[in-house]
Amino acid sequence: MSTSSNASHWDIFCTVVDNYGDIGVTWRLAKQLVNEYHIPIILWVDDLNSFSHILPTLNPKLVSQCFNGVIINHWTTPLAVPYLPGKVLIEAFACELPDEVKLQLATLHKTAPQAVPLWLNLEYLSAEDWVDGCHGLPSMQVSGIKKYFYFPGFTPKTGGLICERELFAERDAWQQDPANKLQLFESLGLKDIQAQDSVFSIFSYETDSLPALCELWQARAKNDAKIHALLPKGRSLNSLQHLLPCPVDALMPGQQIKLGDLTLHILPMTDQQGFDRLLWSCDVNIVRGEDSFLRAQWAAKPFIWHIYPQEDDYHLIKLEAFIRLYCDNLAPDIADTWSKLNFAFSQGQQSAVKTHWQNLNPVSLPLLQHAKEWPIDAINAADLATRLVQFVKKS
Amino acid sequence: MKTAHEVRPGNVIMFEGSPWVVQKTETTRSGRNAAIVKLKLKNLLLNSGTETTFKGEDKIDDIILDRLDCTYSYFADPMYVFMDAEYNQYDVEAENLGDAAAYIVDGMEETCQVTFYDGKAISVEMPTTIVREVIYTEPSARGDTSGKVMKPATITGGGTISVADFVKVGDKIEIDTRTGEFKKRV
Repeated sequence: MSTSSNASHWDIFCTVVDNYGDIGVTWRLAKQLVNEYHIPIILWVDDLNSFSHILPTLNPKLVSQCFNGVIINHWTTPLAVPYLPGKVLIEAFACELPDEVKLQLATLHKTAPQAVPLWLNLEYLSAEDWVDGCHGLPSMQVSGIKKYFYFPGFTPKTGGLICERELFAERDAWQQDPANKLQLFESLGLKDIQAQDSVFSIFSYETDSLPALCELWQARAKNDAKIHALLPKGRSLNSLQHLLPCPVDALMPGQQIKLGDLTLHILPMTDQQGFDRLLWSCDVNIVRGEDSFLRAQWAAKPFIWHIYPQEDDYHLIKLEAFIRLYCDNLAPDIADTWSKLNFAFSQGQQSAVKTHWQNLNPVSLPLLQHAKEWPIDAINAADLATRLVQFVKKS
Repeated sequence: MKTAHEVRPGNVIMFEGSPWVVQKTETTRSGRNAAIVKLKLKNLLLNSGTETTFKGEDKIDDIILDRLDCTYSYFADPMYVFMDAEYNQYDVEAENLGDAAAYIVDGMEETCQVTFYDGKAISVEMPTTIVREVIYTEPSARGDTSGKVMKPATITGGGTISVADFVKVGDKIEIDTRTGEFKKRV
């Protein structure tokens, strides 16, 4: 398949850095722009193998293919599919555009400036105050073209948060019938989970916090309902190697590891809709990065954010900024404990993680109620795709 | 060419045929340690202002203008007066000093660089590192000595910066004028 020239299309360029985060966000955005705004989208991705984990029908060997109305081009060096300028060009998460694309933009700027696409840098999500002041600012490029910085965020002054139009309605319908979650678990090959059991999903980076929580759950499960921890093969399991019967690589989806009344379940890979439904179906979700972090909020369930570690512990500043917003309408004692739990988890403080988990009782009603109300507050009347389309119209 | 990281108040950058003096720089961290640099600029031809944002590694076309080593003499509202080694005096508008104004104090001995455009002094670049005294800050709240807990402090000259929690009133501290960051107690 070759890319046809279409001046109204948008291009999104994405480099895959951490398997599912960047591509997860851009794939959701691309689908939403096609589905809800009927904008032709070309998504350029440098690592189709990683992409295929969340889009199993993708063929990593093809240079161009189409799914959900989105043309997906393999971003090779040099480009195997020629770039034809459209209406908008988005470089996702500070990725560097291919040289031939930048050259074309510079040439167009000199010969036909009206044909230069609106150039946007879609940045990482942060709840920090400075985002308000940087969102939408032009960046003066040496070529003479202005590139605009687009910052997702939680306030009306930012670019908003990715959330599909019907998502909350679909989630509510799903959560109203407990049979849905049991059917989902069964379809994922997860056995022996009963409606009254506690089910936690875990999608974190490596951390000492996980063995601590497992130890706690093992002890606690003897007197309470059974606990099930659902983990995909990957980084979370690296922290639990000492509890596993074999190396992480040898684990099979659907495999169970019983630790007293705690059962670890190995999750199969799933597409984004499947992942959303998994988060909707668990009592607590431990998530990481940006994409799963946001989807855990939309799940309306209590969660722990294992934030991506940065130099000089700067990620803790970002965590604090989010916690400040999230806890704004939360009872002070619950807010304090939930905050401490998140900080302790992200810093691998084993004893503190256990203490705060016990004090919080994450499946308690007030926290659950807050988790249900938060998405409505956070979305601030308009999601990212909607604000992005408005931004393009105004620019 | 400079990277956005390297640009500092007082530099003059070129865009769309106009020179812009950098009045303020603000560096923040995005995801995966990538930096975002926000610049406040003033157009030297039109006298208009704007704000712009760059990735830390973005290249910026800076222009080398005439510069002179000068020392600060006095403030004649709204002009800061600087003097070179031959006792020539140059007036710089307070607005053009941007963040550097927070570090100007009477009797300061540091040598600054005054930049000229079309024969007119347009901006001042402070030395990369300066030492100032803390004239007000709250007492240490948590007894933290790691240096990671920060609190606001007012320094001589009236500027406010974030300092480590262990810093006290009367302490002399080293400041990086490019970022406005506290470096250490001296």
